[in-house]
Amino acid sequence: MWTTLNDIDRMFGDMGLLRSRMNRLFTDFDRSYGEDYGWRVADGTPRTNLYDLGEKLEIIAEVPGMSKEDLGIKIQGNYLEMSGTRKSDAPEGYKTHRVERGTPTFTRSFTLPSDVDSEHVVASLKNGILTLSLPKAEAAKPKQVTIK
Amino acid sequence: MSEKTEITKREETVPERSRPVPAVAPVVDIYENDNEILLHADMPGVVKEDITVNVDNGKLSISGVRKLATTGAANWEEFGDVEYQRAFSVPQTIDVAKVNAELKDGVLRLHLPKSEAAKPRVVQIN
Repeated sequence: MWTTLNDIDRMFGDMGLLRSRMNRLFTDFDRSYGEDYGWRVADGTPRTNLYDLGEKLEIIAEVPGMSKEDLGIKIQGNYLEMSGTRKSDAPEGYKTHRVERGTPTFTRSFTLPSDVDSEHVVASLKNGILTLSLPKAEAAKPKQVTIK
Repeated sequence: MSEKTEITKREETVPERSRPVPAVAPVVDIYENDNEILLHADMPGVVKEDITVNVDNGKLSISGVRKLATTGAANWEEFGDVEYQRAFSVPQTIDVAKVNAELKDGVLRLHLPKSEAAKPRVVQIN
């Protein structure tokens, strides 16, 4: 008797597993392929890259559909804060079929690997990519040492 | 013996290392009114020259390749070169000749006008 119950229990367990698989199948069906979905990292902020060019640091970020008025950048020492909002570009008088792009508001802060000269930071926006050029503070720049 | 020479030959021509660019689907918004279907797709960093839009027999495919010109040592990298590609089924009533696209701030906006025959028409009662 006990064995039969155990068998039944196991069968239901299997059915549960199958059901959860089926559910996943249907939610995945409409999704795009690949792990990489969209331009945001999980918490709704744009993805960034940081490069060290010796004399300066360079940050690039994906900010499609944002104009320079939508973005804010704050720098202090080695602290950088990037914020922005994407406005909806939904046209008037249209029926909506699909909205995946969203209109997030984000703030992201970074601790840079070295202090930067905030006076000479250059920010540019092109093709939905924000580029920040951050010259390192004098003390953080690489120095050539001559042997005496 | 002949096999051996073949092996050495192959070693000489080491192919250059080319990492295939990963393909991802861009996120899109799709709108429609009586005159056209409008598609917005996020493609940050893609230049106009690297975008192709194809409408063929009820299938619309968009593709855009992003080439990032980066220098220096990366401290962190959350995105890289990528090929945005995605395909959609579109109704046959799209006027293929009048399809036009614009690219601004990394967003591709595609206008797919409907052909005259497909537009809703008000029928007058006599």
